[in-house]
Amino acid sequence: MHPFSILTLGIFVAGYITARWDLVTRLCELAIFAWDYGVVTRAAKAFGVLSLVFLLIFIPVERLATREANLWLTAPLSVMPEHDALMRVFWPTDLPRPGLKGVVVGWRNSPLDVFVLAILEEVEPRNVESALQLGTLLRNAPHPVSRIYELCGQSSMRVLGVSNTPESTEVDPSWIRVATGPGRRVPSVTCARASSIQIILFERPLPGRMQYISLNPIALALGDKKGDFRHDGADSGEEEDDEKEERTRKAKKRQLVEKLKQHSIVRHVPSAKEKALAKIINQMNWAWELEQLLQKNVSRIGNRPKRSLSVSERVVESATTARDMMLVWLWDLFRVYVLPVFQKLFIFGLMGHRITAELLLLVLEWRARPRYAALKDISATAQQVEIRLQQFCYWPMQYVTLRLRKNDWGSVTTSHPDYIRFYNSLWLVANDVIIGIALGSYIIDNASWVGEEISDLLSKYTVEALQSSISWLMGWPAGLKLNTELAEFLGDLFLWVIDYWSSCIEALRPALPHIIWFIGFSSFAGASMPIALFSDLLSILTIHIYSFYLASARIYHWQLNILVSLFHLFRGKKHNVLRNRIDSCDYDLDQLLVGTILFTLLFFLLPTVVVFYLNFAFARMAIITLKAVFDTMLSCLNHFPLFAIMLRVKDPQRLPGGIRFELRDTQDFRHAVDDSPSPLPSTSVIYLKSIPLNFKAMFHQYFQMGHRIRKHYLSPHVVLCLLTGKFVPPLNRKNLYSLQYSMLPARRAGVMEMWDAMNSLPSAKKRAAPIIVPVLANGKKLHSNGRLRSYG
Amino acid sequence: MLTTTAHLYIRRPSPTTAEFTVTTRPALTLPLRLALLSLSILRLTLFFVILFTLYTRFLTTSSLHSSPETNPLLLALASHLHTLHLSPAGQALTRLVAPIPAWLLAGISIPLLCFTVAWELHTSESLLVLRGLGIQTSTTGGFPWGSWRPATRFIPTEKIRDVLINEAFRGFEVRYYLVVVVEGEEDVVVVFPKLLPRRKIVEAVWRGVRGCLYEANDGMWYGVGKG
Repeated sequence: MHPFSILTLGIFVAGYITARWDLVTRLCELAIFAWDYGVVTRAAKAFGVLSLVFLLIFIPVERLATREANLWLTAPLSVMPEHDALMRVFWPTDLPRPGLKGVVVGWRNSPLDVFVLAILEEVEPRNVESALQLGTLLRNAPHPVSRIYELCGQSSMRVLGVSNTPESTEVDPSWIRVATGPGRRVPSVTCARASSIQIILFERPLPGRMQYISLNPIALALGDKKGDFRHDGADSGEEEDDEKEERTRKAKKRQLVEKLKQHSIVRHVPSAKEKALAKIINQMNWAWELEQLLQKNVSRIGNRPKRSLSVSERVVESATTARDMMLVWLWDLFRVYVLPVFQKLFIFGLMGHRITAELLLLVLEWRARPRYAALKDISATAQQVEIRLQQFCYWPMQYVTLRLRKNDWGSVTTSHPDYIRFYNSLWLVANDVIIGIALGSYIIDNASWVGEEISDLLSKYTVEALQSSISWLMGWPAGLKLNTELAEFLGDLFLWVIDYWSSCIEALRPALPHIIWFIGFSSFAGASMPIALFSDLLSILTIHIYSFYLASARIYHWQLNILVSLFHLFRGKKHNVLRNRIDSCDYDLDQLLVGTILFTLLFFLLPTVVVFYLNFAFARMAIITLKAVFDTMLSCLNHFPLFAIMLRVKDPQRLPGGIRFELRDTQDFRHAVDDSPSPLPSTSVIYLKSIPLNFKAMFHQYFQMGHRIRKHYLSPHVVLCLLTGKFVPPLNRKNLYSLQYSMLPARRAGVMEMWDAMNSLPSAKKRAAPIIVPVLANGKKLHSNGRLRSYG
Repeated sequence: MLTTTAHLYIRRPSPTTAEFTVTTRPALTLPLRLALLSLSILRLTLFFVILFTLYTRFLTTSSLHSSPETNPLLLALASHLHTLHLSPAGQALTRLVAPIPAWLLAGISIPLLCFTVAWELHTSESLLVLRGLGIQTSTTGGFPWGSWRPATRFIPTEKIRDVLINEAFRGFEVRYYLVVVVEGEEDVVVVFPKLLPRRKIVEAVWRGVRGCLYEANDGMWYGVGKG
């Protein structure tokens, strides 16, 4: 405080006291009074007790509270606590294991979470560190290096530790010390900062063979159209009912699980180590390629000056590679002048094909009104043609994406499912054509015989069998006393129509061998074509059965309805349409009388109608079954996961279906490393393995289709329809064929898109393989650089 | 005697890794080993007897004789089988199965063959907990459909919402079972689905998982008020 203001304050206080002297005397009196009566001692005692309480209770409580509060505050912030000192080491089992001194290089995902890529031998850690910083170790990479860092999720590789170095050498405390050797399968790892260690051993997938590891099963079907078919399936009321039921069931289940989730009272915040798993899986996929690259560049580490070739060596080299140079020159000429012409021609051919395909597809997909069926929904042949055309439209796009894959590292796994899909559909079409050629040549050679057989079958099963069954029904079948007059009426009606139809078929008979010949010829486009054509032929040639079924079902349904309403009348009730319920009703006597007589009449006529209806309903069901068999054959020819099954047998690693861990016994591992002088931290040895895709997942689409067919045809709803004579709707083609379209994109690429894609290809290729002669300067190097790729 | 009620084994090489195995196999003593060995021998004999029955049936029904075999190994095998067929036991077997129609014989013997080859006596289910990685359930035993290796399911820690014990009615009893609630999935994953061990075991496993999966004592847990 300023001295002047203190002076002012003092003057003020002195003035105040002199002015109010009686106040001061009063205060003095009060103090003397308090002293006399022991107030001061009592106050002092109370003060002492209070301060004691404060010291003993409040301060400790406060201290505790602040500590707890600090704990709560800091806990969520420090997401990555390292107190547990658990170290995680990912180690490739197929890493070379010479017992030499070396430096362990890899990714450091977090301070105690390391991923080993390679052991570089006979180099100094310091040099390796600087080489990694300068990027010397990644020199001569075939593709951009930034891609590695992007996909592995780390900004740089690090030196992780040293291998097979004596204990005496000083190393960084965060580094690991590894002891490996030819005899040891599991390396012994120690780290100064870790109290317990998880060694996770894994087998590196070979990117050259397109093997990879993934957390989720590989998707064999294109997954870009979730709910697309559900949306389309809303055309018919039946489907909607089914879907709605399923949706409500799912929603109920979800609600239950949501409720279960509310039971968890504590939530765990995932640490960096736990979140890193997806990244680590990527790193595993990269491990092989990166190790090769690092080992190739090890010789650059350290300050070994490179000696340039001497003159004599140059002479020898140019002499040995002269032939190669000539070849390269010729190839270059061919590439520059001849190849582009062919390429252009091919592209123009493809584009012409694409445009025709587009026109045909427009015809096939044309609908008069949005709700009406297109041609492809009615006919199996049109559907088959459409699928093939769609495939032809999709292949160039797929091929372009697969070609672009070659400009990238082999470890990029995003396009592997595309590769499998592409070759699967190619192979299926090839298979289809091969089977089709065999089938077609047989049909063409025996066209007349096949035509004869088919017309015999037709006349036998669709005419004679029907005729005999109808005449059987007309004459008291199985002792049932049907109404003779009605049975004769109905039977005659159907028999006339059948007679007319059989004359039509007779007229068709001479043309049948030609039709068969045409079908045989069409099978050169694949065995699925004649099957689809036969399926369509079957529906055309049995159209009379379909119409009989419709007619008899309609009659039966009407009669049943009339019977039900008359039965209500008989009971003195009636159906209230407005409220949709049964009300009682006062009928007059004559109404009741007439109604009852009619009821009796119709009731006795019912069995006759029922037998006719059942006859045609069974015929119809048989035809539907036959068509379902044809459709199943078609879907097998069009969609069977042949390539995937072959891969599963040949190289299961190419079809990853997830990962699994195996805990190994540590006992023998400990015995094996007993000779190490320092005590090991508690270590668990875990093997990470890739699970190949199981067969159930491969045929998932088939199971789904079977489920759908079963739900549609074997449901109580269909039985009810059959019993009451309602029309049983056939399964929507779209639903049945969702299987076949699962390999195709929901939206096909337009003509211009395809043109752009095709033109993007050559430029990419030029970038991929520039002819620079020095690279080829020694023939051996080319060989070691060329990446092996198997298209099994 | 060969199997016991489900009991728990815990393997815990380091505090951060643990495997809880619930199995019906009793501890391997010498008599048990002998019994298991004899059982497997019995299964093997049953397998061969069924195969042999099918073969004799094939011999008696098919009248056509195959062309003379040139491969000496196959020839020897065929002659041995033939002598076995002509032996009294073989003849008795032939007579025994003679009245059974062929389709019925095939229908019985083929599932039996599969059974003798594939069926496993002991069911064991395990739960592997790896801190920082996740939880893996696996099941072996019974009749493995499709694959020989145990069916495993790995759930990364990131995806684990909670691990809890639930109770359910099953017939006329109440069962306690361990459940993993997985983020973004509409079903929960039941641990030990085949054996559904007793509550004591389930509780022990639950505590173990709790202790092992997360770092327990450094404030990683905090309450989330849920209505």
